[in-house]
Amino acid sequence: MHSFNPTLTTCTFCGVGCGIYLEKSGGLITGAYPSMSHPANQGKICVRGWHVHEVASSPDRLKNPLLRVNGDFQEVSWQKATDFIVERLTKIFRESGPDSVGFLNSPRCSNEESYLLQKFARTVIGTNNVHHGGPLHRQNTIQTLIEMIGVPAATNSIGELEKSEAIIVDGIDLGRQLPTIGGRVIRAKLNGAKLIVTGSRRHRVAEQADYFLQIKPDTDLLLYGAMAKVIVDRGLVDYRFVRQHCHGFEAWLQTIQDFNLLAAADRCGIEVELIENAAIAYARARSAAILYSTGVEARGVEPIQALVNLALLTGNVGREGGGLMPLAEYNNLQGICDMGVMPDRLPGYRPVSDPKARKALEKLWGKPVPPNPGRDIWSMLGSGDTPLRAVWIDRHNPVATAALCDAAQVLEQADLVVLQHMFMTNTAKYADVILPLVAFGEEDVTYTSTERRVQIAQKAIDPPPGPIPAWHHLVIVANKMGARWSYASSSDVLDEIAKAVPFYSGISYENLGREYGRQWPCTTDKKLGTGYLFEDGLPEAGFQFAAVHRPPDAASRPTDDYPFYLSLGYSLYYWHRNVLIQHSETLRREYGILLLDYPEGFIEINGQDAKRLNIRDGAKVRLVGQVGSAVSTARVTDEIRPGTVFVPYFQQEIARQIVWTEGARKSNVDNPVFVRVEKA
Amino acid sequence: MRARIIDRQDLLKIVDLLTTEYQVVAPFRGRGRDTYFDVVTGANRDLIQLHLPNPYYPPKRYVFPQSQRLMTLRRNGDLQIEPYYDAPKRAIFGIRSCDVAGIYQLDQVFLKGLYKDVYYDMFRKNLFLVNVVCTDSELDMDEDCFCVCADTGPAARNWFDLQIMDLGSELLVVAGSPRGEALFSNDFFRQATPAHVEKRREILTDIRRRFDKSTSWYSAAIRHITLGQVTDETWEEIGNRCLECGGCSYVCPSCNCFTVSDKQVSENEAERLRLWDSCALSGFTRMAGGHNPRKAVHDRRNRRFFRKLAHYYIQRELSVACIGCGRCVNVCHGNVGMPAVVEIIRRTKAEAEQR
Amino acid sequence: MSEVHTGMIDQVRQEASNAGIEPPFENVYLPKSAVLERVVQEIKEVKTFYWRFEDPAEQAKFRNFRPGQFAQVSIFGAGEFPASLPPSPTEDELFFTIREVGSVTRAMHEMKPGDRFAIRGPYGNGFPMEDYYGQNLIFVAGGIGLIPLRSCIVYALHNRDRYKRIQIFYGARTPGDLMYVQNLREWEKAPNFECYLTVDRAEDGWSGHVGVVGSLFTGLELPVENTTVFVCGPPVMFRFVLKDLKGMGFQDKQMVSTLERYMKCGVGKCGHCCIGVAYVCVDGPVFNLEQIKKLGEEI
Repeated sequence: MHSFNPTLTTCTFCGVGCGIYLEKSGGLITGAYPSMSHPANQGKICVRGWHVHEVASSPDRLKNPLLRVNGDFQEVSWQKATDFIVERLTKIFRESGPDSVGFLNSPRCSNEESYLLQKFARTVIGTNNVHHGGPLHRQNTIQTLIEMIGVPAATNSIGELEKSEAIIVDGIDLGRQLPTIGGRVIRAKLNGAKLIVTGSRRHRVAEQADYFLQIKPDTDLLLYGAMAKVIVDRGLVDYRFVRQHCHGFEAWLQTIQDFNLLAAADRCGIEVELIENAAIAYARARSAAILYSTGVEARGVEPIQALVNLALLTGNVGREGGGLMPLAEYNNLQGICDMGVMPDRLPGYRPVSDPKARKALEKLWGKPVPPNPGRDIWSMLGSGDTPLRAVWIDRHNPVATAALCDAAQVLEQADLVVLQHMFMTNTAKYADVILPLVAFGEEDVTYTSTERRVQIAQKAIDPPPGPIPAWHHLVIVANKMGARWSYASSSDVLDEIAKAVPFYSGISYENLGREYGRQWPCTTDKKLGTGYLFEDGLPEAGFQFAAVHRPPDAASRPTDDYPFYLSLGYSLYYWHRNVLIQHSETLRREYGILLLDYPEGFIEINGQDAKRLNIRDGAKVRLVGQVGSAVSTARVTDEIRPGTVFVPYFQQEIARQIVWTEGARKSNVDNPVFVRVEKA
Repeated sequence: MRARIIDRQDLLKIVDLLTTEYQVVAPFRGRGRDTYFDVVTGANRDLIQLHLPNPYYPPKRYVFPQSQRLMTLRRNGDLQIEPYYDAPKRAIFGIRSCDVAGIYQLDQVFLKGLYKDVYYDMFRKNLFLVNVVCTDSELDMDEDCFCVCADTGPAARNWFDLQIMDLGSELLVVAGSPRGEALFSNDFFRQATPAHVEKRREILTDIRRRFDKSTSWYSAAIRHITLGQVTDETWEEIGNRCLECGGCSYVCPSCNCFTVSDKQVSENEAERLRLWDSCALSGFTRMAGGHNPRKAVHDRRNRRFFRKLAHYYIQRELSVACIGCGRCVNVCHGNVGMPAVVEIIRRTKAEAEQR
Repeated sequence: MSEVHTGMIDQVRQEASNAGIEPPFENVYLPKSAVLERVVQEIKEVKTFYWRFEDPAEQAKFRNFRPGQFAQVSIFGAGEFPASLPPSPTEDELFFTIREVGSVTRAMHEMKPGDRFAIRGPYGNGFPMEDYYGQNLIFVAGGIGLIPLRSCIVYALHNRDRYKRIQIFYGARTPGDLMYVQNLREWEKAPNFECYLTVDRAEDGWSGHVGVVGSLFTGLELPVENTTVFVCGPPVMFRFVLKDLKGMGFQDKQMVSTLERYMKCGVGKCGHCCIGVAYVCVDGPVFNLEQIKKLGEEI
C-alpha cells in the first residue's frame, strides 16, 4: 500500500537534532529529507540524515530475545528472557549487594529509556552504579559549567549563530561531526561575522576562518589565557557585567597576569598578532559565541574553565548570539545527562549526596535513593576495582571502545550481562541475554539536542513482530521484580520525567508536538521553553570566574630524539564502527574509505614532514616513543599540523603500546607524549 | 490553442476526474514553510490549494524514488532473478513549471541513449502531470527560485498533460497532451477567448518582474565552464564551503545519479535496491583498489557544475540542466548553490581579466 | 462527479500495484543466470572463471560480443561489478579474469565449479577491430592491463591475414605477475607475431628482458604510418608509454585504450563512470587519445 504521508521527526545521528521528514511506503521507510522550517537546520541536513531510511529497515536486525544456552545463543520468548534476568539479577544482588550490579547506557539512548534505566538502578536494585559510555570527558564540562554558570548546557541556540558577530570554534571538526552547525558557522562568516578557529587540525571550517590559530596540540590553555590577558590589557573587559554579575574576578585577574603573550605565542607555535587580533575580534563583537567539543575531543577541566572565563569577561552569557555551546556529537548526550545517568548526579543534575535532592525523588518514586555516589564507567569496566557481578548495558558497545581496554575481560567474568541492542555487536559476544529494541521511526521517544531542545522522534511505521521499545524492557523487568511501574506509553514516562527534572516540568508530548520541540528550561510557567539561558534576567547567584593557573614551563617538550607530538583522538573515521552507518550502502562507502585505503589502520602525518622524512602515503612507519613503539601505515594529509602525528583512537594497539602503560588511562592532556617517526 | 476556461469553484472537479483513473497527489501545507505532496483522499481533498510554497522534496521521487526495489535474487540450487515492478497510475496535481522541466531532464537520461530504463519508463508512462503556473509572488515564489533565468517558467511551455493558471476570477486550463485534452470533453470546461489569453500574458509579464532579488544569470558561467576556463583556485574557493552532504543532488529535480545495493534478507534471498547517490560524495568515483579520480572536493564541485552548465548538454537537450527551482540554495550549508557559484565564477573571471 | 470516495481511490491503487505487471520492453538491469564451470589460478589474487549461461539462447546471443566489451557480474548477496571480457569472440569458451580487490570480487573468488551467479551484457563500445583491417597493430600492456587486450590480440591472431604487422609489448613487475603465461608462450611462437616481454624485476630464473615496458621500444623502429596502438596498464605506465609513442610520431587518433571507472549500472544511467561528457560504460570503455582529450575532464 502506498502511503506517502511524510512523518516529521528528529534525526538521531548527532546532537544537532535536525528536523527531517520520513517518507513511507509499504510499511517501510523509503526516503528522508530535511524540514525547511525547523529552527536548527532550516532545510539542511548532512549526508547521514539523507540516508536514514536505509538504516531504519535493515535485514540483519535482531527480532527476538536471545539467551545464551550452553555457549550458543537461542531465540527465546520475552517471558523466558526476562524471567531469566530477574532470577539471576535477584540472586546476584541478594548474595553480593546492590553495588555488585552496574548499569551502562549510550548517548544514543532516548530520554525515556535513560530515565527508566537510572530509576531501575536506584530504586529496584538500590545502586548508583549508573553511567554512560561514549564521550568520557563530558563530566568535566558538566562540573565546570555548573560551578561557573550554574547550568551544564549550551547557553544559546544554534539559530542564534546568525546573530553572532564573532564565533570561536575550539578544536572540533564541525564539517564532519555536526555539519549543520558547521554550515551555520560558515554562513555567519560569509555574512560578516569574524570566525576564529583554534586547534591543531586544519579542517573544512578552518579554511573559512578569519583567524586560524593552528596551535600545537594541548596548548589551548595557554592560548586562552593569553587571549584573556590581551582582552584585559586592551581594556576590552565588560566591567559592568563582571562587577554586577560575577564572582572571583580579582582572584582570576591575579592568575592571568602570569600569562605572557610572547611566551604563549612561542609555546603554541603561532604568531603574536594572530592571538591579539583574535582576542580583539572576540571581545569587540557585540555578541560572540564559543563552540567546543565535549566528547569527541578529550577535554580537561582547565581549558573549559578558560573558555567560560572568556565568555564571562566579555559579558557573553545571557546575551543573544553569544554564549557557550558545549557540543554534543552524539544525539542524546545532553538528554542522558539531564536524566541523571551518572553515578554522582540524579535527574536534573542534583548531587546524589544532597539529601534534599534525594528526598524530592524519593517522594516521587516512593522508594529510597541510595546516598553514596556509585562507580563510574572507568571503574565498572576497569580491571582495578572489585569486579561487577552483573552488568546491564543499553545500546553501548564498550568492547569496541579503545579507552575501555579491559571491558571484554570484565564482561567475560561477570555472572550476568544483559544487553539491549538492535544488532549483534562486539559486546554482544559477551552477553548472556540480548533484548532486541525497535529502530528509529518505530517508536515515539524523545531526545534532547545540543541546544537543549527536547524533541520527539516520531513513530512512522510499525516495528516488525518481535522487538519492543527499550524503555519497555525495563518496565517489564522492574515489574517482575515487584516495582509496580505503570507506564502505558512513552508519553507516561515523559510525564514523570517532567516531575523528576525541574527544568523539564513544562514538557509533555502534546507541548513538544506543537512546533519543533521545546528548549529547556521548559517549565510550567515558561511552557514555550527558553531560547537562550538567562534571557529573562541574569541569575541572582551570579557567575563564577575560575582561576586558571598557567601550565608549568617544564612540561615535557619535544626533543631531537622524539620530535613529534603524538596526538590521540577521534577522527571522522570512528564513525565507521557506528552500527547505523554500516547498514547504509552509501554511508558505509563514505565512512569506510579510509579503512579501505588503509586496511591495517593508519596514523596521520603532515605533507611537509612526510616529504622531509621521505615517507610516501601508504608507507609503513614506526612510531618510537619513550615507553614503546608501534608500526602502522602513514596517511599523509595537510590537515595535520606540521610537527604532529595523529593516531585515531580505534588504533587500540598503538594507544596501548605508546601512550597507556598498564593501568594508566590518563589522556594525553596531562601527559604529552613525543615520538620519532621512522620508515618501517 | 487547446485552452479552456473553468470557474474557480470547479477546480477540484479536475481532481475528481483524475481520481477515477489515477492515484492523485497534491501539495499540502505542513508546519511553517514545509509543504509536501500527499495522496488525495476524501479526508484532505478540500485542503488542496493552488497557491502555496513549492514542496521541498522534489517530485522526481514519483518517477525515481529515493529507494526502490529492482529485483529479488533467490538461491536454491540454481539462481532465480525476479524483477519487481510497481508503477501505480499517478497524477501530480500541482507540479511547478520548473519541476516539469526537471522531469523532462530525467526523461532524457533514463529514456534516451543506447538503453532505456524500464522502471523509469513504467513510472513515467503512468504519470499524469498537472502543472500549476506560479502567479502569486508571495505564495508561489520562493526567495531563492529563478526559473526565468533557466527559462523553465513561470509557465511551462511543454512536457505537461494539463496546465492550470489562475487568472483571478477564472482559471485558464491548457492541454499539453492527448490525454490532457481528453478531459476537455467534460462540460465544466468552456472555450477560452483572446481576452483570456491576453490576461495570461499580462500576468506572466508581471510575475517575471518579481524575480529581481533571486537570479542566476548563467551565460558567463556556461561559457567559462564549457571552455574549461574556470581555474582550480576558483573551484577550491567553492569547495572550501562545501560540507559534502549530497543535498544539492538529492533535492535537485534534474539530478539522477544512483547506486545499487544488494541486501541479503535471508539465507537464500537477496534484494537489489536502487538508491539515490550524489557525485558530491567523495566515494562516488572511488574504484576498488583505491584510485579515486575525483578525490578532492573541488574536483567534485567542478563535476557538478560541468554537468549542469556545460554547453554540450544544453545543445543536446535544448534546455539547461539546471531548472531554476532554488532548492540547492536552501539545502546548501556553505551557500554554494547554483546562483552563488555562477556569481563566484563570474566574479573570479572578471578579477582575473582585470589583472 | 462531485464526490470522491476513498474506497475507490484505494481500489485504483490496489489494482495498479499488483504483481504480474508486464514490462513494455527488455529490462536491461536484469542479469541472467550462469553456471561456473571451472576456475584457474592465474597469478596471486587473480583467477580466471570459465562459465556459461544456463539458457543456451542467452549464450548464443551473448557470443556476438566485440573485443573490449565487458559484462556486469552479479554474485548472490554480495553485489554486482563490471568485468572485462578477455576471450575473443572467435574462441569457444567464455571466461572472466578477476582480481580479488573488494568485497564482491572476494565473494566471487570463493565460488566453486557448479555454483550459480548471474551475468548481463555485453556492454560498452568495444574495439572496432574491423576498422583496423589492413593496418599494423601494436599492443602495449602492463600487468593486469593485458586482460582487456587479450580479446583483441586473440581476435587478431584468429584473423591474421586481415592485418599487417602485429607486435605485442607486455611487461609485469615480476615473472610471477605475468598474465596468461600459456598464451604468451603461444604468441612468442606464433609465426608473423612479434611478442616482446619484460619484467621490472627478474626472479625465478628469468632470462628475458628486464626493465619497464617502454624500455622494450629501444632500438626498434615501430611502424608509425597506418598503425593503431592499443595501450592498457596502470596509470603511471600509461602516461610514460603515451609519451614514448608521441615521441615516435604517433598521432592521438592512432592510440586507443580502454578506460576504467567505478561502475554501477553499466548502461549509462547511474552517473558513476562519467568522465566529462561521456559515460565510460556506453561511450567507452574504448577511447582513442583524441577523444580522451575532448571529454571535458582530466582522466
